[in-house]
Amino acid sequence: MVSPAVRAAIDEEIAKMPEKRGALLAALRLVQEERGHLCAETIQEVAEIFELHPAEVMEVVRFYNHFHERPQGRHQVNVCTSLSCALRGGRGLLRQIQAHLGIRAGQTTEDGRISLGHEECLGACGNAPMLRIDDAYHLDLDWLRTQQLLDGLE
Amino acid sequence: MVHIRVDGTAYEVREGLTLLQALDDLGVLMKGVDIPHYCWHPKLSIDGSCRMCQVEVEGMPKLQIACGTPVRDGMIIHTRSERALAAREGVMELLLVNHPLDCPICDQAGECKLQDYAFEYGQAHSRTREPRRALKKRVELGSTIILDQERCILCRRCVRFCREVSATNELAVTQRGDRSTIETFPGKPLENDYSMNVADLCPVGALTTRDFRFKTRVWSLEEVPGICTGCSRGCNVHVGVVDHEVRRYTPRRNDEVNGTWLCDQGRMTYREIGAPDRITEPAVRGNSGQLVGATLDRAIGRAVELIREAVQKEGPGVVAALASAHATNEDLAALRGLLRALGSETHAAPVLTGSSDALLVRPEKAANAEGARVAGFGEPGLLFDKIRGGGVRVLIVLGHDVIHEQFLGTPEPLAALDGVILLDTHRSRLEQVADVVIPGRHLAEKGGSVTNHAGLVQAVPAALEPTFEAIAEAQVLARFADALDVSLTDEPERKREVD
Amino acid sequence: MGHRVPRVTQYLTEHFADEGFATLSGYRARGGYETARRVLRDQSPGDVIRMLKKAGLQGRGGAGFDAGTKWSFMPEPHHGPNYLVCNADESEPGSFKDRLLMTRGPHQLLEGILIPAFATGAAMTFLYVRGEYAEPARILRRAIDEATAEGMLGSNVLGTGFAHQVVLVRGAGAYICGEETGLLESLEGKKGQPRRKPPYPAECGAFGRPTTVNNVETFCHVPHIFERGVDWFRSMGTDQSPGTTLFGVSGHVERPGVYELPLGTRLDEIIFEHAGGVPGGRKLKAAIPGGVSMPLLPAGHLDVPMAGEFLRERGSSLGTGGVIVMDETTCMVRVGCVISEFFRDESCGQCTQCREGTGFVHKLFLRIERGAGTAADIDVLEDVAGKMEGATICAFADAAAWPVQGLLRHFRSEFIEHVHTGKCPLPDGFEL
Ligand SMILES: Cc1cc2nc3c(=O)[nH]c(=O)nc-3n(C[C@H](O)[C@H](O)[C@H](O)COP(=O)(O)O)c2cc1C
Ligand code: SF4
Ligand code: SF4
Ligand code: SF4
Ligand code: FES
Ligand code: FES
Repeated sequence: MVSPAVRAAIDEEIAKMPEKRGALLAALRLVQEERGHLCAETIQEVAEIFELHPAEVMEVVRFYNHFHERPQGRHQVNVCTSLSCALRGGRGLLRQIQAHLGIRAGQTTEDGRISLGHEECLGACGNAPMLRIDDAYHLDLDWLRTQQLLDGLE
Repeated sequence: MVHIRVDGTAYEVREGLTLLQALDDLGVLMKGVDIPHYCWHPKLSIDGSCRMCQVEVEGMPKLQIACGTPVRDGMIIHTRSERALAAREGVMELLLVNHPLDCPICDQAGECKLQDYAFEYGQAHSRTREPRRALKKRVELGSTIILDQERCILCRRCVRFCREVSATNELAVTQRGDRSTIETFPGKPLENDYSMNVADLCPVGALTTRDFRFKTRVWSLEEVPGICTGCSRGCNVHVGVVDHEVRRYTPRRNDEVNGTWLCDQGRMTYREIGAPDRITEPAVRGNSGQLVGATLDRAIGRAVELIREAVQKEGPGVVAALASAHATNEDLAALRGLLRALGSETHAAPVLTGSSDALLVRPEKAANAEGARVAGFGEPGLLFDKIRGGGVRVLIVLGHDVIHEQFLGTPEPLAALDGVILLDTHRSRLEQVADVVIPGRHLAEKGGSVTNHAGLVQAVPAALEPTFEAIAEAQVLARFADALDVSLTDEPERKREVD
Repeated sequence: MGHRVPRVTQYLTEHFADEGFATLSGYRARGGYETARRVLRDQSPGDVIRMLKKAGLQGRGGAGFDAGTKWSFMPEPHHGPNYLVCNADESEPGSFKDRLLMTRGPHQLLEGILIPAFATGAAMTFLYVRGEYAEPARILRRAIDEATAEGMLGSNVLGTGFAHQVVLVRGAGAYICGEETGLLESLEGKKGQPRRKPPYPAECGAFGRPTTVNNVETFCHVPHIFERGVDWFRSMGTDQSPGTTLFGVSGHVERPGVYELPLGTRLDEIIFEHAGGVPGGRKLKAAIPGGVSMPLLPAGHLDVPMAGEFLRERGSSLGTGGVIVMDETTCMVRVGCVISEFFRDESCGQCTQCREGTGFVHKLFLRIERGAGTAADIDVLEDVAGKMEGATICAFADAAAWPVQGLLRHFRSEFIEHVHTGKCPLPDGFEL
């Protein structure tokens, strides 16, 4: 069940928008922050709040990269692999991270610590290569710094 | 009204429509003006995504999609200019990039728009050497429909149907780009009263009905216009026939009646035609009290005997008829004509009722309920009273609706009659009290006209011959009249009354 | 966060070194909101639009449409509100200027929103920030709260009686939500699939209401134009493209970063003088002038003024002004792989050519890169790019086709070498 606190936050988002559905993305984000991912039951609950068919909510969930239907690691590490970063070693960095963690992009470490991914340009091309850990950007990386960042994750 | 020219021909079209809508409205789309289209459908919202319908509009630098471009007065359109053809070829090639091209085993082969257009607008072969997109070949979207994701061209007609027509929303396009697929939510399959329409509107072979899948190759199918007998909407169908067997009903467009849709229940009524419980042979109750098979002549002879005896003994008023609201107008006219010729006015038509909806399904569960009413066949209550009171000796019954629990519930009340003459298509408990049983023909087997709930009289031809010997009910009744030496040809009394 | 403070400072970024500029008090200390107050109090919406048309401010979101003209399409509000949308979805690879504008100058953006909001009769602005921009969103939210508390937003903006609200909406990871109608769909809680046009947003935009969409930077110029005047604005840049813009320079340059420079500044000047040229004494091979959607230009073609009218003559475009520089080690087939992967991943999937074409093009690039391509594949690549162009719901398919065309126009020989030798002639280039 969506907790009362999250439900209240969703209602607040709904109140801001001219139409209820306008708050759907915000609601999915809030629910995912609480639950870690959006399983079928959760999607159905959100669909009920928004008076939508769950297929319509599923469609939205699967369109956007940030929504996950499966459990994720405690931290999301996403490496930018778009051109400006690639030119400055972004893809090499991803390869090194994969080797270091023993997983491929799209996977989660066995201890559930890190889900690794690669993303398209994150709007920090002037500080390439870069990656995103959860909500924070880490810029102008080299392997040493990256390794420290990864190893520092709980 | 605005004036446009398409490939040199002038048309006057209604304002506010898009080009494809206007051509469809005029009835010339694909019947004179060929603009290929995948995502546009006359009864769904405009999507504009397949880009197949691009045409050249004078004064507009880019090609325009015919489905989404509003007509303007003086618009000059070229549908087959070099640029338009090249654009279509481009769309075709890119559609085929990921298409499995398994036409030889595809159900849709023969009625696939991809195949048709590839032939007309595409290149001879596709130039990709990469593995094609591998997706699921058999996804059960619900109990009626199966999806082949590899064949899907993502026109979203099915999705729009579920949002706009059935309003049930089960289908969605998930993911983005070339990963896009049609899906249902887990535990919420495609189940609605109109689900099978998605197979008709799918322009390729991606959606098939479980009922028809692989049963028949489309090109061996003969399609004859027909009318669904499921309710008084009278939806227009194509009766799909192979080897004297009806394999399916599909919607036949009629904007006044059913648009391009059928309800699932009505669509499946085709099964009644080849059902194992058809009455295939005339029968007469013998001395032993059992019904025994007989020739049609013998059955007609016995029926006429019963009628004649009753009239002679107690006068014409004791002969009555219970018509079926499934009977055609021709059958009903013959029945009423016979009674009138005999001098009886005692007739009625029980009309079964059931659930209805706002889209098509009507509460009257017979195609000709309105036709029966107009022909003077009223509610059966009075007739039942008369039967119970002994005022009826011989009853001619078309169809067995009368023993449905909405009416008599049981054939019992008819047991006391001197004669029950049953003209029917399907077996029932009514045979327990029938003295004569004569097989009838289904609408698809006899053709004729029925009048729908709104008073629209619709005539269809016979689509096939029954596999057994049977003549239409109207002809049986005509034979009765012959044998009784009365004439059915006309209804002089009534006409005179009206004058 | 680690933005380098721009080296050449003009009006937009003038105070960005000052941390306080991001706060309301800091912004007001620099005269912030005074221009909006004056405009809202003294001018009519018609005056505002006329003045902006005279200024000739071109949209900075990529298409370069004249901002004043766009505002003039808006009808007077009737039977419901008009809306304004600030497009902060910045996701075009190579573009990173809007993030700077939001984090360092959130109130400059809000003031820039108020003036067109007033001019178009908008009751509300939706500030649509891409999902990954968590920090900019936080900063903007705080700025909105501050501004609302102090009466810069709300029912009586700056005491002028004008009512306006700014609602921050966050995306969730989909490039196509930067296309204005994809954005509107996303705003409405749907998949960000662009809409068929007509109708245009000014007739039927967010939630079915008349709506104008502008880019973050476009808004940021507005208060300066009204503060210092049309003549001042037109004294910078070119005749057709006045003012400065933020060029984001990335890739193989000594000093990547955001540079505010007049439109019309030469591309080679930006790369060599401002961004310090190619590091390590290597030679420059090519540069993309405005984000990966724009065809690249080879060395030797870089003496072009960075303004739409000049770039078009070279077969490219200004786009978002995101300059991506590639040195001589760069394999152009790999560049094609990287760019086409982006478009394959981000196509919304509605239009046939875009959905199927982006995947197909990517496969072809990969095949050539693997050394498994044939000369015919190169022709197919060109042909397919041609078929994707100019015929889809939104300009994404064009944007996916143009870089392919640019690569083949200028570096076809490199592609031919790949297919003839079956291997990459530049093995030391960037890793794929
Ligand atoms: C595929 C695609 C992506 C776009 N992404 C952005 C974007 O991230 N930010 C932006 O401001 N404009 C983007 N645009 C342009 C917008 O559609 C729109 O033209 C712009 O926001 C209008 O603002 P302007 O007139 O101020 O430039 C994109 C356009 C396309 C076709
Ligand atoms: S399944 Fe058929 S109708 Fe549905 S989107 Fe695919 S091709 Fe279109
Ligand atoms: S609505 Fe009635 S007539 Fe139409 S298909 Fe259904 S049952 Fe048949
Ligand atoms: S061009 Fe591509 S991104 Fe744009 S609407 Fe069509 S499929 Fe979507
Ligand atoms: S390319 Fe990596 S942040 Fe832009
Ligand atoms: S029929 Fe017009 S775009 Fe599909």
